[in-house]
Amino acid sequence: MNSSLLGMPIAAVGEVGEGFFKERSTETLGCVAHSSHLFCGGWALEHIGDYGTPARQQLEMVVLSVLIGFAIAFALALLARRFRYLEPPLLAGTGILFAIPSVAFFLLLLPITGRGRETAIIALSAYTLQIIYRNVMVGLHNVPDSAKDAARGMGLTGRQILWRVEVPLAIPEIIAGLRVAVVSTMAIATLAVFVHAGGLGEKIYGSGNLNFPTTIIIAGVIAIVMALLLDAVLLLIQRFTTPWRRAEALA
Amino acid sequence: MPAAEATEQSQGGASSVSYQGATKRYGHSAVPAVDHLDLEVEAGEICVLVGPSGCGKTTSMRMVNRMIELTDGDILIGGESIKKRDAAKLRREIGYVIQQVGLFPHRTIAQNIATVPQLLGWHKDRVRARTAELLDLVGLDPELAERYPVQLSGGQQQRVGVARALAVDPPVMLMDEPFGAIDPIARERLQNEFLRLQANIKKTVLFVTHDIDEAIKMGDRIAIMKQHGRVEQYATPAEILMAPATEFVEDFVGADRALKRLSLMRVADIDLWKAPLARAGQPTSEVRAELDAPDVEVPYALLVDERERPRGWLTQRDLAGDTVPRTADAPLGPVLETGDMMRDALADLLQGESMYAPVVDHSGGVTGILSIEIISEFLASPVAKTEEQSAVDRPLGIDRESEIAADE
Repeated sequence: MNSSLLGMPIAAVGEVGEGFFKERSTETLGCVAHSSHLFCGGWALEHIGDYGTPARQQLEMVVLSVLIGFAIAFALALLARRFRYLEPPLLAGTGILFAIPSVAFFLLLLPITGRGRETAIIALSAYTLQIIYRNVMVGLHNVPDSAKDAARGMGLTGRQILWRVEVPLAIPEIIAGLRVAVVSTMAIATLAVFVHAGGLGEKIYGSGNLNFPTTIIIAGVIAIVMALLLDAVLLLIQRFTTPWRRAEALA
Repeated sequence: MPAAEATEQSQGGASSVSYQGATKRYGHSAVPAVDHLDLEVEAGEICVLVGPSGCGKTTSMRMVNRMIELTDGDILIGGESIKKRDAAKLRREIGYVIQQVGLFPHRTIAQNIATVPQLLGWHKDRVRARTAELLDLVGLDPELAERYPVQLSGGQQQRVGVARALAVDPPVMLMDEPFGAIDPIARERLQNEFLRLQANIKKTVLFVTHDIDEAIKMGDRIAIMKQHGRVEQYATPAEILMAPATEFVEDFVGADRALKRLSLMRVADIDLWKAPLARAGQPTSEVRAELDAPDVEVPYALLVDERERPRGWLTQRDLAGDTVPRTADAPLGPVLETGDMMRDALADLLQGESMYAPVVDHSGGVTGILSIEIISEFLASPVAKTEEQSAVDRPLGIDRESEIAADE
């Protein structure tokens, strides 16, 4: 990979480890920008405001990517449900997308879609397909045949069976898929900086930052907290949409 | 049920079901799953389709609501061809109960029962009233309405299954081994409850089972199927037990078919022995005279109270004095009721190691004596005193063909 294309020195990564140990133990420099102290509290307080925009960009990218990925994966799952023979090729196809190394994926898209958020969202959405598609399929497969048979026997149409019986019963698996997708997308979205899509990656891979653990830690913690928050939101949605699961737990 | 009448019904009543050369062939298979089935099910009857697995009984049943489409022939419900109807709309007018129940796990009991009413766009007050009524009808606590299926026992779930199928009071019900997955004790109770329910609602029911005992118990008429939906015999349970039409039917019914007849009869249906009654304080000479009477076959007198309720058996020692004592020497043993099934009565006698047992009516008063001897005579004789008197009024195994003809 051509490092000039990235606009940042990948080679710097190798020096971080050295600096971490050497400089922390020997130097007595104050905690200023780009010092290699593990964490500079004062600097963090002073600059925390700079993280607002990247964090918002990151959050938007993750939410949009997962929503788009969900819409596509759900449609694919419905297709596979209707045309059974599509199930294995769709699983393989989404699997191949998932297997592309992420930095490579972003860079491969550059000549096609150019720099910017759209490129990042395309790549990130593609990554969520496999997880979400697979979970929707598992959820639909797990709907008891007897419930579907009874539904048909009582005169529900195919569409009514799908929306009133199958999809509601698949919600736990679908949400489980979304939770994994949200967390993994949050991690991968930091690489969006390679296509100039912003996000917390700026604060991690940005010029000189790889030598400055404080900013990596702040960006990382923000990413983790946002991932946990999104996860909590999904859990709440699951709780409200699947009250019967609590009855199951009590029974 | 006044409540049932108060609610406006979209369906109500019962319709006949008529198979007319109904045929199902899968793909290019040379042998049809069901081959030209002709069967008339009268309105308000339970018709049991019974046979070994793969005989086409479930296929035959599922053709009625077009869960399985006919390849050839037709089925008429209340004289109207099912082929003219939209399949989904047709199904909403036919109750459907399956072995695995198939309740929707994500819906409460009330919501499950309300499935078809909601599809038909009933007003929610009407749905709520009907749900409460149905829970009552199938003997479920109204508190269960807000529970989820997983919180109910298997027997309770199948009651909900029946209630859900009855929600819009359909004229026809299809029941595919509805009690097959339930433990024997609960199954027996559910069978009895359904028969009681059916006595009130009088639906046309197509009931599939592989269990001949269940068929005999539940069916007004039984169609015994062999293969490809070929009906070997279509007759009342008593006729099938008394006069199996073919060797296949005879084998399928089993060697114990004489015994099975006992599950068709109640104690009230058989001639009982006269009970020699004795009351405390009565002169023993009277009692002894009664015991010696030619029409009395029990060697012991039965001590009864002032309301003729049985108290115990009087032995020779009890009758040695001048008057009948207050208490009997021998314990009473089993007491039968006129409404008991003969099979259960025999079981009670055997379990109580008794040769005789007093039979009491609703008020508890003695109406006669049932003995092992009466039962064995009944089993030995081909002439059973059932409502099928005309069909069984001659020796077993003779002229079966004419009997079938006579039935039609």
